[in-house]
Amino acid sequence: MPGLEFQDVTKSFGAVRALTGVTFSVREGEAHALVGENGAGKSTLLKVLTGIIRPDAGQLRWLDRTLTLASPRDALERGIGMVYQEMLCFPNLSVTGNIFAGRELTAAGGRLLESEMAARTAALLDELHLRIPPRAAAESLSAAHRQLLQVARALAFECRILVLDEPTTALTDAEADHLFAVLERLKARGVTLLYVSHRLPEVFRLCDRITVLRDGGYAGTFERNEVAPDRIVRAMVGRDLPPRAEHQAATLRDAPALRVRNLTRRPCFDDVCFTVGAGEIVGLFGLVGSGRSELLETIFGLRRPQTGSIEIAGRRVAIRSPRHAAREGIALVPEERHRQGLFFNLDVRHNLMMPARTAAGDILIRDAREREQAQRLIAEWRVKAAGPRAMPDSLSGGNQQKVVLAKWLATSPRVLMLDEPTKGVDVGAKFEIHEIIRRQAAHGLGCLVVSSDLPEVLSLCHRVLVMREGHIQGELAGDAADEESVMHLATSDLRDAS
Amino acid sequence: MKRFWHVRELSTIAILIFEILFFGWYLWPDGSRSHPFLNAENALLILKYSSIYGIAAVGAAVVIISGGIDLAPGSIIALASVVCGALFVDAGWGLGASLMAALSVGVGAGALSAILIVAVKLPPFIATLGVMGITRGLAFIVTEGRYFDLSSKLSGGWRPLGLPADWVAPLVMIALAIVFQILMTRFQWGRQIFSIGGNETAALFSGVAVGRIKTSVYLLSGLLAAVAGVVLALVQGQGKADLATGYELDIIASAVVGGASLSGGRGSVLGAVLGTLIFGVLRNALPQIPGATFYDRLIVGLAVIVIVVMDQLLLKRGE
Repeated sequence: MPGLEFQDVTKSFGAVRALTGVTFSVREGEAHALVGENGAGKSTLLKVLTGIIRPDAGQLRWLDRTLTLASPRDALERGIGMVYQEMLCFPNLSVTGNIFAGRELTAAGGRLLESEMAARTAALLDELHLRIPPRAAAESLSAAHRQLLQVARALAFECRILVLDEPTTALTDAEADHLFAVLERLKARGVTLLYVSHRLPEVFRLCDRITVLRDGGYAGTFERNEVAPDRIVRAMVGRDLPPRAEHQAATLRDAPALRVRNLTRRPCFDDVCFTVGAGEIVGLFGLVGSGRSELLETIFGLRRPQTGSIEIAGRRVAIRSPRHAAREGIALVPEERHRQGLFFNLDVRHNLMMPARTAAGDILIRDAREREQAQRLIAEWRVKAAGPRAMPDSLSGGNQQKVVLAKWLATSPRVLMLDEPTKGVDVGAKFEIHEIIRRQAAHGLGCLVVSSDLPEVLSLCHRVLVMREGHIQGELAGDAADEESVMHLATSDLRDAS
Repeated sequence: MKRFWHVRELSTIAILIFEILFFGWYLWPDGSRSHPFLNAENALLILKYSSIYGIAAVGAAVVIISGGIDLAPGSIIALASVVCGALFVDAGWGLGASLMAALSVGVGAGALSAILIVAVKLPPFIATLGVMGITRGLAFIVTEGRYFDLSSKLSGGWRPLGLPADWVAPLVMIALAIVFQILMTRFQWGRQIFSIGGNETAALFSGVAVGRIKTSVYLLSGLLAAVAGVVLALVQGQGKADLATGYELDIIASAVVGGASLSGGRGSVLGAVLGTLIFGVLRNALPQIPGATFYDRLIVGLAVIVIVVMDQLLLKRGE
């Protein structure tokens, strides 16, 4: 019995074909995963399903009836709820205001029924086991709570189909567990789930069937019980991935690239000491809120430490600003490439040359030389771009990230700090970024990698530092570390408390 | 947004009270002469002149909360006064019909802004900058350098609805402030304006009819500016093309002093109206201080900065 059917859905943006004849169906009441690399067409398909864009050809059917969706409002009214990847939230409204935004309960004439809405909100939050007051301002909530707020919102409208786009990106494992428990309950109630994620373990845990999209086309639907993750990855990438590189011991040279002594900036982190050898990849793992991003930002001169010192290649430096940090050979690939990493108004060449140019204190832009350098960087790091004059938004997420990485490598740093280097990046690009990091380390660069992707930390790093509540909680050698030991260090206090 | 008396408005009231006490003390007369500032007549005068700003500030606050900006109110005030004067004085229309025509012109100007912003997708600053020029230009074209004297045609004992003429403007302002405060805090329309100002993309994705709501916001701003223009024409007794020059910035400043954030999503109608009273008191009291006559613009400018900075400091403290 078909539930939700996509029939020959096609959509082009200008010359780019985002979707070509996508046909598959989702059974009513099942949890169905939609996977694919960035640029495979998942987001476009979701936008079609939620009425944000209309397909050029093809149609959607729900329970054997054609669905014509002209707007997100239409979709909501047909019972299609969406939990967006980028958290759409109204920071200026209360929890209740957020849940009922656009669909406020009103008496005749549009008067708001505040108490009814607050009561419904309280009941919903209770159902989700969320301990947040309905009156709290959304901006005071954690990222995880804001994410769950969207689920609550979908529930408030009694959705028959709930679409989730990468809902766990900002969540810790415990929070993700909570979300899954909620989703399981919804499934038991007969809600059809369409779950989009990069994370295959999640997909296998939650979903009954998995549909793969590749390059805007349909690449197969698989029963969870009859397929191995490798098969899914092959379908996503369209080729076999090269085998994972073996753990290689770091070849350390002379003075450590970075030494941090007693660095303190309360309340973010306190008395942090560690070294990163030249040629070493050190992982820094911690849950959201453990102070790891603040630590990187302090080393990079965005914040001032209260006490403590930083040494680069054996020389003590007091970093005053990111510009100063770049001159001292420190580079930071930030977590949010959209907000912190790229200039979307400038072409790839200017993006690539910006740090090197400012660190060198250039006044004139030497066009010919820069173009040539940019061209070389694009070739060297295999950035898939039309050329140095391409604009960043024409690149896929993985290639944008490679641009951010390349622009810092162009400054020839001694220390490369990476904050979530493969967040929102597809499998192939993730692999390439890991290779770039390994290659740079082999040439004597000290790398400090912050990531909440534990398998990534374990496969990439020679040594893992675990941070919790602003302290370095412990250190594990790369081959001795496994998920359990790292998580134990990262959470033990939290577990004791609860 | 829950309570009618938002904390933010209380601090605006506190500034207003402090200001009144200060001038009351500073201008305290020697001997037995009557107080030049603290008297009923002067209070009515302040209310009367502030209400022109205040009525338009209701619309400005709504626009700013929606995340937009409207630069046209000053010009619409002038155009409405001119249209009202031309029809009432020159064309011999009845007063009611002239007023309605003037208000329609305001709505028309608001509609033009709305089309440019919602359909053509111009940034509100540019769209309303254009509308500001167009409406001011139309006012000059209609008058051809003349001005219309309404006061001679309005008989001395003109009492709309049996009220003294001087009370009309303040009462209109107070009524509009209360109505729109309630609409903004208790009604879906207002809540959706807050949501658009807070995060327009999210509002669209949440099923808010963003285009329709934004259209209503600019129509309202145009209409209320025209109401202010009509009130100005009746209060001052004239329709002139160069009236209310620069008022749009004073009106925006009042809304900001009253707690509105120019990045949208925050603010209150009541606060904006109280903001116009803060400036109204300054404009009334400063010329009474010997030697301060030429300082009033400077002091008004400083006041905007000081009040907004204080507000931010208090907000930070509050967190």
